[in-house]
Amino acid sequence: MSKSGRGRFGARKMMLVVPGVVLMTGLSACASAPPKTDVADYQAYEAVNDPLEPTNREFYKVNDTLDTYVMKPVAEGYVDVTNQTIRNHVGDFVSNIGEPARTVNFILEGMPRDACVSLMRFIVNSSFGIGGIFDLAKHMHLPETDTDFGITLAIWGLPAGPYLYLPVFGPSGARDVWNLPYEYFATPMELAPASAALSDFGYAETGLHLINTRAELLDTIDQIKATALDPYATFRSLYRQSRASEVVQVYEAEGRTPPTWAMPPSN
Amino acid sequence: MHLRRFFLAAAAVTPLLGLMAKGAQADPISAGDAQAFIASAGQQMAGIVNGPGTQQSRAEALRTLVNQIVAVSQVGDYVLGRYINIATAAQHTQFQDLFHQLLAYNITYQIKAYQGVSFTVNGTKPQGGDVVVDTTVSTPGHPPADVGWVVEEIGGKPQIIDVIVAGTSLRITTRNDYSSVITDNGGNVSALLSAMRNQIQKLSANS
Repeated sequence: MSKSGRGRFGARKMMLVVPGVVLMTGLSACASAPPKTDVADYQAYEAVNDPLEPTNREFYKVNDTLDTYVMKPVAEGYVDVTNQTIRNHVGDFVSNIGEPARTVNFILEGMPRDACVSLMRFIVNSSFGIGGIFDLAKHMHLPETDTDFGITLAIWGLPAGPYLYLPVFGPSGARDVWNLPYEYFATPMELAPASAALSDFGYAETGLHLINTRAELLDTIDQIKATALDPYATFRSLYRQSRASEVVQVYEAEGRTPPTWAMPPSN
Repeated sequence: MHLRRFFLAAAAVTPLLGLMAKGAQADPISAGDAQAFIASAGQQMAGIVNGPGTQQSRAEALRTLVNQIVAVSQVGDYVLGRYINIATAAQHTQFQDLFHQLLAYNITYQIKAYQGVSFTVNGTKPQGGDVVVDTTVSTPGHPPADVGWVVEEIGGKPQIIDVIVAGTSLRITTRNDYSSVITDNGGNVSALLSAMRNQIQKLSANS
């Protein structure tokens, strides 16, 4: 096995192990639930569904430090040498690499229309869009609809489960964490034969994705930290709502009415 | 990918944190009236943010406008949620006062981020008994954001009661933020009031 092949095999194993390790680590420190006799408090505890909150908050602090001293300065430098147009094209390019994984997810979800649109997007953008740098498909009435394996599991009926805040990866959940190994295996680079060049490209693409995404968020994260009383709880709320909304969007893009369980609360 | 979408939602929502709630005496409003209201409000907001004057004077004008078009007190009560039944009358009054102050400081703090903002109204859709007016909000240096404004008729005039970006509701996000502070402090509303005072101090030092 080549050096790059060993590296990728190691990464494969790591991706499979991550969800299990995260879940096990989280069990080491659990928030104590209020007694069931305190009905309102207990219901609120259940609604938050963050029994691993003490551990999650520790990971949040770790990520926050990592972000302050590494990601944010790098993203600021990246913004200094790029403009919004370039960053949009980088975003389109990275999004295009993830399109095959979305196509497979749409098939698994039983959404043939979404799957066809996704496949067409990949073909059009990879060819006429020069490897996905240009999102020409959206001008051809082939809009992007987001999905991932976490959403597939949701559509299969798996509940979101407890909230998880992962080191490096950030907000997730007991269901959504399984998207990590899925996305890793479902990228085009991973399906191709192993080579050093391909591995380097994969690392570069991942790095670019992270930096480009962080650059889009420079003001946002500053604003959340400045205005939210509890940024951790704010991120948790935004994540949960955003994920619920993505399930609804998958149904709507398919032309189907979302089931009641997928609809956000009206209050 | 979903993380990027989540953060983009956060990007659009965060500058407005602290604004939203459900009106207590709300009446249905027609889609046409809601759309006209948001089109007018959007133009006024953009006019103030992009207009002449010092940052302080524009922030003051924006605060006045926000108090006219947003049901701030009802928003505050929604954000307080179930703890409104636990808070004493004095704590409730203090909360509303601090909530209005925080809103003012948040607007001052964030007005720079909205320089060059423009609104496009795309249409309306029903949501329960409310009307959501869909808009695209564009600010230079940021990707355009699809923002839904939930409108109700309160006290005989249209009022904004929520902002929705990529499926995330501002009033729910803010309520979850605030209730986390209370639950982490043994259900004490006074802890929330304290956190709000600290936040105001922090923002006033930076403004």
